[in-house]
Amino acid sequence: MLVRCQQALLLMSLVAITLLTNISRAQDVIVVQDSQGQHTFEHVPSRVAALNWDIAEQVLALGVTPIAMPDIGEYRQWVMKPEVPDSVMDIGSRVEPNLQRLASLKPDVIIIASPQLDLMPRLQQIAPVLFFQTYSEQHNNAQAAIDNFKHIATLLGRRQQAEQRLAQMDQRLADLKTQLMQAYAGQLPTVTTFRFASMTSVYQYGDNSTAQYALQRLGIAPAIKQGPTQWGVKQQRLKNLRHIGEGVALYFEPFAQEEQLAGSVMWNAMPFVRDGKMSSVASAWNYGGAVSIEYMAEALTQSLLAIAPRKTSATEVTP
Amino acid sequence: MMASVSLRYLFCLAILLVFCVISAQVDTQISLAQQWQLLIHFAERGNLANDFDAIMFVEAQMPRIVMALMVGAVLGLVGSLMQQLTQNPLVSPMTLGTASGAWLALVAMNVWFPAWVGDYAPLAATTGAMLTLGLVILIAGINNLSGLPVVLAGMAVNILLGAVATAIILLNDQYAKNLFIWGAGDLAQNGWQQVQWLWPKLMIAILIFVFAPRILALLRMGQAGAAARGLNIIPAILGLFTLGIWLVSVSITTVGVISFIGLLAPNIARQLGARTPKDELLLSMLLGAIVLVATDALAMLMSTLTFDVVPSGTAAALIGAPALIWFTRRKLSAQDQLSFSMPKSAYQMRASGVVWMAVGVAVLAVVSLLFGQATIDAHTVWQWQLPSAFDWQIQWPRLTTSIAAGAGLAVAGVLLQRLIYNPLASPDILGISAGATCALVAGSVFIGLNIFDAAPFIAFAGSMAVLGLLLLLGRRHQFAPSMLILTGIALTALIEALVQFALARGDETSYTILSWLAGSTYRVSNVASLWLLFGVAGLMAFALLTSRWLTLISTGRDFAKARGLNVPRAFLLLLCCVALLCAFVTATMGPVAFVGLLAPHMAVMLGAKKAQQQLPVAALMGAGLMILSDWIGQNVVYPSQIAAGTVVSVVGGMYFILLLIKGQRASR
Repeated sequence: MLVRCQQALLLMSLVAITLLTNISRAQDVIVVQDSQGQHTFEHVPSRVAALNWDIAEQVLALGVTPIAMPDIGEYRQWVMKPEVPDSVMDIGSRVEPNLQRLASLKPDVIIIASPQLDLMPRLQQIAPVLFFQTYSEQHNNAQAAIDNFKHIATLLGRRQQAEQRLAQMDQRLADLKTQLMQAYAGQLPTVTTFRFASMTSVYQYGDNSTAQYALQRLGIAPAIKQGPTQWGVKQQRLKNLRHIGEGVALYFEPFAQEEQLAGSVMWNAMPFVRDGKMSSVASAWNYGGAVSIEYMAEALTQSLLAIAPRKTSATEVTP
Repeated sequence: MMASVSLRYLFCLAILLVFCVISAQVDTQISLAQQWQLLIHFAERGNLANDFDAIMFVEAQMPRIVMALMVGAVLGLVGSLMQQLTQNPLVSPMTLGTASGAWLALVAMNVWFPAWVGDYAPLAATTGAMLTLGLVILIAGINNLSGLPVVLAGMAVNILLGAVATAIILLNDQYAKNLFIWGAGDLAQNGWQQVQWLWPKLMIAILIFVFAPRILALLRMGQAGAAARGLNIIPAILGLFTLGIWLVSVSITTVGVISFIGLLAPNIARQLGARTPKDELLLSMLLGAIVLVATDALAMLMSTLTFDVVPSGTAAALIGAPALIWFTRRKLSAQDQLSFSMPKSAYQMRASGVVWMAVGVAVLAVVSLLFGQATIDAHTVWQWQLPSAFDWQIQWPRLTTSIAAGAGLAVAGVLLQRLIYNPLASPDILGISAGATCALVAGSVFIGLNIFDAAPFIAFAGSMAVLGLLLLLGRRHQFAPSMLILTGIALTALIEALVQFALARGDETSYTILSWLAGSTYRVSNVASLWLLFGVAGLMAFALLTSRWLTLISTGRDFAKARGLNVPRAFLLLLCCVALLCAFVTATMGPVAFVGLLAPHMAVMLGAKKAQQQLPVAALMGAGLMILSDWIGQNVVYPSQIAAGTVVSVVGGMYFILLLIKGQRASR
């Protein structure tokens, strides 16, 4: 009888332990939403491969060092922030990542964007694949970037850091806005941003571009309305910039022919040049992820402060 | 007679003036009367303090028209000069590789010396163009500038330099972004600086009018005749060539690539009855100016109507391609070669040779699988290793594609070279690949398709559309070879202009388009590679079974007819076979140049001279070339890759140039 009782107890405790561990495991399971649906992971993946620059940028911003990413040399030149540690392996180009090298690095998860979408079936043979589309004509790119940032954070078990980082970004944007409001005495100008394609044409940023979203968050409206496109950019003739009118014109560095530009009668006839409402913006990556909004806003604010009417305050962005 | 000639010039000048006035009305708020005032008070233009529209007119519209006049005139003049020097109506500055030389120089400078772009870009482009001309002349031989070799050398250099530039862009894409608008050819001006920079450099054209007429008149008697009349031919031709290329180089440096004008203007001039060399030079110059001013006005108009910037080069190609076909169609058929003459070779291949070659290709395939760069514990090493299951999964479709594409294009080359009686014709010139490219680029830019997802079907549809067009146009002229070449050249150039237009739009989509254009086996799926293999195998079987047709046709159409062959039907079927082979390959892996030209050639050099033997030997040669190219592409810049299509253009281009140089030495 006693033996039986002991056996029963033992059995019950076994059942209890199994149940408990199961529950604790259920808590460990990670459910991630990507652009195609829900995926579950048993535990936080530690070896992350980021196959596009905007993905790599967000993974790095979460404090996770990916094991592999593409075109690292060019990333350092054009995207710049956040910095890439030397331990990250280069896997070749964004459109043709080196699959054998990727496989040899044994990633736990592979994160891709639209240029790699059609490679999905092959990549899935290496590791589970998540797809985050940031740039599309159909949605708001900036909102998509922020949502994707949260999803990636969920996957990497850094949801809290992401929320903190986003809150920090909101705070930073609010600070920048205050600085601008002070410099412009509460009267923020309208602004249009662009990049020079040649002496006669520009790539103008409009709806759905990071630049415009950053400006909107700073409380600034576009000087020229331009409907959404996939990348938020459209080629325009230089002379169309006259429609900026009373607004401010900001162009991104680098532009090799700045000297010739300064001597151009047509450029100097532009209303914004005559009124001194024009400045260049430090090189910034226009096709990035969530945190690139902050970098973009900082670069834009710095330029706007430089040409602000109240020169008494410091023209440098205060950190 | 004199009166009618001067009447013709007066008429042309009047038309030119009308087009200039029309061009001035596009996209401006300034009335005609105000325009006149601005023009006569041009010297006081500094005082237009606040009138923005007036400033735009004086600083953008007027220099743009002047630029179109100057560049159009130069392209027409130089086109005529070169066509008369080479006595070939299909020569133009662009076909001699000038533009691709300038393009490569600009790409290299933007990637490796971005800080110099502002000051030295014109210098780099001009140097690139002149060096390219030097190379082309070196290849063709100074004695040999008046024939077909110089055109072929130009074509080879064009593809070679273009491929190198594409590879550089793909490995460093962000740097090259601003170049695409130059590649598309843009006449828009910002002030008078460019005009002021350019016109003194064009003044040298006066020398052409002083010296060229006499030299050209003597050359019409043939080189020997000219020499007999005391003309020192080589320095004369070389000097004129250099002058012409200089003029074109400085022009395209300022405005970018504008094709067709140089090709078209002299052909129209001859249609209008220009008889003497001087007459043709002058009239071509005028016509070039007219055509460019008119097409540029059209480009501006299209830009205002579509809210998209339409570059001048795109408009010139849209007008130029059909116009070229229209104006040259009758002229050319008289010059057709009527039978196929083989490149010479001392060897004679035995039947067992094919078997040995097959063994060689098989060994190459196996070695390419086993040997290469790999990553072990995060280190890059060269190693011999059996592919793992995963490696094998990636490698076998690529290998299958390489073999099938190489063999398919080689067979297409053999067929085409014999069909149109030109041992140096390449299947690319039919425009089949260009049609595929055009369909895909249009789908990606205007409908927003993912170029890699959409590739096989849309590309194939594009190829078939071009084939339909070729058959339609060809039927009218009894499928005269030169007509096919002309249509192909025009279509290819037109489509290239459209692709440049798409690339110049400047977003991240251009990156995927470019990587498709490189011609890579990377993305070919298992199923697609098998489709290609079976498609190519079927068409090759057809070609082998009908090799008697080919032998008969290459001997001469009349001969084939006398032997009871239904020539039109056989020709049509074989032409469709060529087109299908090109379409299959392009749809699967993108455009691949040179294989179709080189493989048949190498087969003949190895001694496979009969059609029946040349077909399999060329196929094996093509397959080998592609396997080698894909292996090089995957290993030389590891972990990045260069597309097999690009590597084969570089390797093939260099081989072809060596071949031409050797041929030139031998003929001396």
